[in-house]
Amino acid sequence: MSIVRRAVLALGLPVVLVAAWWFATEGSQSFFWPPLRDILGTFAETWWPDRIMGDVVPSLLRLLVGFAIAFVLGVGLGVAIGKSRALRAYLEPVLEFFRAIPPPVLVPILILFFGIFNTMKVVVIVTGCIWPILLNTVEGVRSLDEVLIDTSKIYRLSRRARLWYNILPGASPQIFAGARQALSVGIILMVISEMFAASNGIGFTIIQFQRTFAIPQMFSGIIVLGLLGVALALVFRLVETRILRWYLGLRAAQRGE
Amino acid sequence: MTSATVESRRPAPGGTAGPRRGRPVPAGVLGALGLLTLVAVLELVPRLGLVDDRFLPPFSSMVSALVDEAGTPTFWTALGQTLRGWAIGLAVALVAGVVLGIVIGSLPVVRAATSSTIEFLRPIPSVALIPLAVLLWGNDMKSTLILVVYATFWQVLLQVLYGVRDVDPVARETARSYRFSPLTTVRTVTWPTALPYVMTGFRLGAAVALILEITGELVIGTPGLGKEIGVAQSSGAVPQMYALVIVTGLIGVVVNLVARWGERRVLRWHPSIRAEVG
Amino acid sequence: MTSTPTSSAPNAADPQRDGTAEPILDVRGLRKIYGSGDGAVEAIRDLTFTIAPGELTCIVGPSGAGKTTLLKCIAGLLDVTDGEIRLEGDLVTGPPKGMAIVFQEYGRSLFPWMTVWQNVELPLKEKKVPAAERKRLVTEALEAVGLADVHGAHPWQLSGGMQQRVAIARAVAYEPHILIMDEPFAAVDAQTRAELEDLVRELWHRLGVTVLFVTHDIEESVYLGQRVLVLSNRPTVIMEDVRIDLPDERDQLSTRSTKRFAELRAHVYELIQQAKGGRRPETTARTDEAGRRDEAV
Repeated sequence: MSIVRRAVLALGLPVVLVAAWWFATEGSQSFFWPPLRDILGTFAETWWPDRIMGDVVPSLLRLLVGFAIAFVLGVGLGVAIGKSRALRAYLEPVLEFFRAIPPPVLVPILILFFGIFNTMKVVVIVTGCIWPILLNTVEGVRSLDEVLIDTSKIYRLSRRARLWYNILPGASPQIFAGARQALSVGIILMVISEMFAASNGIGFTIIQFQRTFAIPQMFSGIIVLGLLGVALALVFRLVETRILRWYLGLRAAQRGE
Repeated sequence: MTSATVESRRPAPGGTAGPRRGRPVPAGVLGALGLLTLVAVLELVPRLGLVDDRFLPPFSSMVSALVDEAGTPTFWTALGQTLRGWAIGLAVALVAGVVLGIVIGSLPVVRAATSSTIEFLRPIPSVALIPLAVLLWGNDMKSTLILVVYATFWQVLLQVLYGVRDVDPVARETARSYRFSPLTTVRTVTWPTALPYVMTGFRLGAAVALILEITGELVIGTPGLGKEIGVAQSSGAVPQMYALVIVTGLIGVVVNLVARWGERRVLRWHPSIRAEVG
Repeated sequence: MTSTPTSSAPNAADPQRDGTAEPILDVRGLRKIYGSGDGAVEAIRDLTFTIAPGELTCIVGPSGAGKTTLLKCIAGLLDVTDGEIRLEGDLVTGPPKGMAIVFQEYGRSLFPWMTVWQNVELPLKEKKVPAAERKRLVTEALEAVGLADVHGAHPWQLSGGMQQRVAIARAVAYEPHILIMDEPFAAVDAQTRAELEDLVRELWHRLGVTVLFVTHDIEESVYLGQRVLVLSNRPTVIMEDVRIDLPDERDQLSTRSTKRFAELRAHVYELIQQAKGGRRPETTARTDEAGRRDEAV
């Protein structure tokens, strides 16, 4: 496929959609649907630089800290549980239950314990993100190739070496699948915990705009949130393809056979 | 791939080197013990004063709050509202996801033209729509419904797209050479291949739909269990709040079990047992 | 079947097995039962044999003869129900030092997330071999298996035969005292297989390592081994300990076309057929007397 054709295909529909939005709301008098021109017009003054620094950055920091803690805890516990058949059987129903609780209902509970400040929001994100990572890690460790495990034993790899060279890489495709789910849960929880109780953050700001009927600003907030989601997904994918390059290659090789 | 023939059957992965002691305890017993442990911890931690019982009431008071709740019509109405919102949202998302997925997936040009847009729209967090929904519909059920549909739709659509991509090109060519009508091709070639993926989408979507349904109720205040949790929280009825959270967890477990059961049932005849994608 | 000439030498005639050399591997009264109670399966009933240092022994048996079980016991990956296994005098309770294994499933025994070089190097790192020495060992091992130029590749980028060469290189670089090969060539094509068989003989000659080679392929066992241990079907005992008195210099074409090769092959073949038919040696003695075979004819 030529580059031009590919560019047209990739950009065509987005351009058409944005144009449609633009012209459909052009001269709109509707209170709820301000012209796209107005939304974009208020974009810079609304967000730059105060709200970027004062709202977006704190939100992102809470998300990243919470996600990182959940990742470390989830992988660590997941490896321990995945390696032991008895522990797995013991914890499975409990974990199934915790995973099934919709994470946002933890917000009111955690407010009791941690108040409404940063700690609460980070803990909310951790408690929501940990389950997909944990359960996927357990599954990844459980389904490690037996021949590889035997190989590690035969060559007398130390526990540490087995963890680094066998268990973690072997489970990494599943760990990443879990982490990807966890990231989208994390974004949801970041926004919701801020909508509930906060003095800053994207979720807080958007709800403020809505409550004060600053409609173009509210729309710009929704766009910021969307861009953030897309940017985080992109970064995640970059990291994933880098770390899982062997896996993608292996799968391609298997399919080719 | 090599077809590895392992002639020795290894009974339990735990039974490798080292002498085995005793007979392994059945997994079901261990699992039940695990649940009992959880209950015991929830009961004892507040009783022993390790955690303030205003924050974490003992398990027994959660249960008695639950029993009280179960005696009120409010609870059952809220439960019904939650399930209804979940079912409607899931159904709409399923139909939309399957139809669009098959159309987009079957037509290469459409697929190429939409892929960037799908890639862009998919990671947009559904909760970004909350303020807009509230603005348009207030705390009407529609506000939550739109969240549920939006989030669930992507789960289903992506799986269907994977599924359609999985269709054997030879089968597709055969269908074309026999001049099957597009509808017949979909029915006889595309759909059977995509079905396992559709069921995966259904299973994933069912869980996501429930999360968003309760989230919407909690945050927006549309009627349902989520709203009741919010009410319990703001009125300081902590045991009730826990009781309701437990109920949402149980619903989640049931939804997962039913979805898995449905998936197995529908795919019983299906030759492919495939790993999940995405 | 016609009666084949006697091929197995009586024990005492074999200097390597009459107790003058300290065995490197000593398996005594090995018994392995999986599970317990009603579901118990007796995989191995009673195996006793020794392997002298530097020997190349093949173990062959009908499928389901518990070959893999035996290997896993020797490798310390499975606990034995009864009897004992000693490697260089030490009781095997876990994966012992100085042992390397090449598994049948080459696609699953190399770490796909590592390059060829890293795969070969990892066990040496764990053995705390100094970096310079490591580099030499890995280079030599890869050269020995004819893969000097692909060390930056990942295993899945290589063909099946090449992957198995990497696994062999890893085992060789490890400098084991005993090298165990578990049906290593069962999943590669015939051409590659012949090449790899010669590679094993060559490496064995050059390194003087003890090799225990498990296979279900009768020709392969006769071609490769100095000795072939024929196993019965489950629960396993030894049918016969066949001495392979072919000349040491072997060649795919000429060796396989000699009369003696044909005789030995026919003999082992017959034993396997008997084993499949359920015949077992009357005693669980480790070797067979020459006369036993004739009565089955």
